[in-house]
Amino acid sequence: MPWTNEGGSGRGPWGQGPSGGGMQPPNLEELLKRGQDRFKGMLPGGVGWGGRGIAVLVLLAVVGWLFSGFYRVEPDEVGVEQRFGRYSETSLPGLRYHLPFPIEMVTTPKVTRVNRVDVGFRSAAERGRAVQATGRDITEESLMLTGDENIVDIDFAVFWRINDARAYLFNVQQPAPTVKAVAESVMREVVGKRRIDDVLTEGREDVQRETRESMQRVLDSYGAGIDVTQVQLQKADPPAAVIDAFRDVQAARADQERLRNEAQAYSNDVIPRARGQAEQVRLEAEGYREQVVADAQGEVSRFLAIYGEYAQARTVVRERMYLETMEQVFQGINKIVIGTGDGQGVMPFLPLTELLKRQQPAPAVNRSEGHQPEGPK
Amino acid sequence: MNRGILSGFGIAAVASIIAYSSIFTVSETEQVLLLQLGEPIRVVKEPGINFKLPLIQNVITMEKRILNFDPPSAEVIAADKKRLVVDVYARYSIDDPLRFYQAVGTEAAVRSRLSDVINSSLRKVLGRVDLSTVLSAERSELMRTISEDVNTEGTKLGVRIVDVRIKRADLPDANSQAVFRRMQAEREREAREARARGAEEAQKVRADADRQRTVLLAEARKQSEILRGEGDGLRNRIYVDAFQKDPEFFTFYRSMQAYRTAMSGQDTTLVLSPTGDFFRYFGSAAGADGR
Repeated sequence: MPWTNEGGSGRGPWGQGPSGGGMQPPNLEELLKRGQDRFKGMLPGGVGWGGRGIAVLVLLAVVGWLFSGFYRVEPDEVGVEQRFGRYSETSLPGLRYHLPFPIEMVTTPKVTRVNRVDVGFRSAAERGRAVQATGRDITEESLMLTGDENIVDIDFAVFWRINDARAYLFNVQQPAPTVKAVAESVMREVVGKRRIDDVLTEGREDVQRETRESMQRVLDSYGAGIDVTQVQLQKADPPAAVIDAFRDVQAARADQERLRNEAQAYSNDVIPRARGQAEQVRLEAEGYREQVVADAQGEVSRFLAIYGEYAQARTVVRERMYLETMEQVFQGINKIVIGTGDGQGVMPFLPLTELLKRQQPAPAVNRSEGHQPEGPK
Repeated sequence: MNRGILSGFGIAAVASIIAYSSIFTVSETEQVLLLQLGEPIRVVKEPGINFKLPLIQNVITMEKRILNFDPPSAEVIAADKKRLVVDVYARYSIDDPLRFYQAVGTEAAVRSRLSDVINSSLRKVLGRVDLSTVLSAERSELMRTISEDVNTEGTKLGVRIVDVRIKRADLPDANSQAVFRRMQAEREREAREARARGAEEAQKVRADADRQRTVLLAEARKQSEILRGEGDGLRNRIYVDAFQKDPEFFTFYRSMQAYRTAMSGQDTTLVLSPTGDFFRYFGSAAGADGR
């Protein structure tokens, strides 16, 4: 508080002047000096003037003293007045008056300002104020035991403001250090009830809320007049010594997820392909079925057509078919005709290999049987 | 005249000095013990203006607010032999100024007395329970016990203990290292397990995919065979239905077809004698044996 008027007495232009019995000595001195002056010369007439002068001085002093009772309450403050040390009233922002110093005094705490206490670390602002820059993290404050006997590194900030100025001023000797001590104690108590995983993950909100509520209870029991507005976890980490192991767990979780996804990808790749392949096999089979049936039907209908002809002229058709077939067969191949009777004798001497070598490739006769039915219709 | 003024001021000064030394104020934050020639005669707790006899009575002002006391941390041993570094703070107020004045006198003195009391109470209370109890919901219960314990002693010193709270209850450095190692081991186990689980799941998914593929293909082959069989059966029925009409002609027809396809190659050399139906007219126009 840069310019709080401690007791309001430093405010007026006559400052400390009229404080109690202290008003006597300067006047006495001045009086003596004047008295000496008067002895040196003009004795008559001077007495009246001297008496008036003293009266004026005393009057001025009294007026000044009375004026020293004015004080100003800033918009973010309230004034707490005490008369002879006893609380008399609380004044709101504006220009106020109290009876001057020895009788009444005023204290103006800043009630709307939200104060901040850091535990486990020092924020930049606070460090700037400190003479020497301290380490940012203060492990003896931030390391604490969890319920499952692990150690966790917690930094947090507590925000508080004055709730009841009278209580704040008169009930607790050092409110700000008290807030800090309570914060440390309560946070350790709250964290000590929980498991480390809870504190590090989903329990953070609960830790904040529970710490705030618990702190409020303790401070209320002191009648501190303080409102804890917020408890903010700045950091809730495993200690530096084991943080790598914790990170590795995260990495392992990610690996697990990755492996699962890869496998799923494999599955997603393989199964549709297999389904396609299966469908292909099935369709091929279906095609085969259609094909053989169609082939058979075709062949049969051709046979039936020929058979229709045959039924009408059995010998002719049969002869013709035979001859045509033979004609075609003999046309396309090498043939050696051996006369009847001798055949048996000659056979063993036929140079078959020679014959096979000599034969010329004859042009393929590709007469289809399809022409046959056309003939004798 | 000057002498009169001077003496007037002198009297006024003496009077105000006497007035000043017979009036005292008690602030909201204070309480006062009134002594008469060293003998305590009155305690003033109510704030406001008060009077006393000048010169022979004097006042001793004490804090009425709740005071802070932060003793140095102490190492205690829990019932399960685990060491703990415990840091507590106490909040107290001077409840009985007379007794306070007689027993200790100053705040510094009371602090050193309280320090001992708190220390021994901590050892006593925390020595009865396990570390796990300190780290549990029972902690507040323990703190209350300690507060009450200390308060009993405090009353003798004229102070009221508002509460004693455990600020820190941590393991000593050596034990902390052990805890770190254990935590590390635990996390390594967890990481391993996570990776193994990942592998397990992956393998399961892959195996299942392979199984599905195998089953799908087998099922398809089965259907395929059924379809092919159906086709073959159908073909046979079609043939049989048709050829049943004249088996003899069918044999002839099929034979003709077979000759044609079987003998169509160019590498076929046929050695034959000119007999048979084809050569019936080869020797004579009338036919070899007639039909």
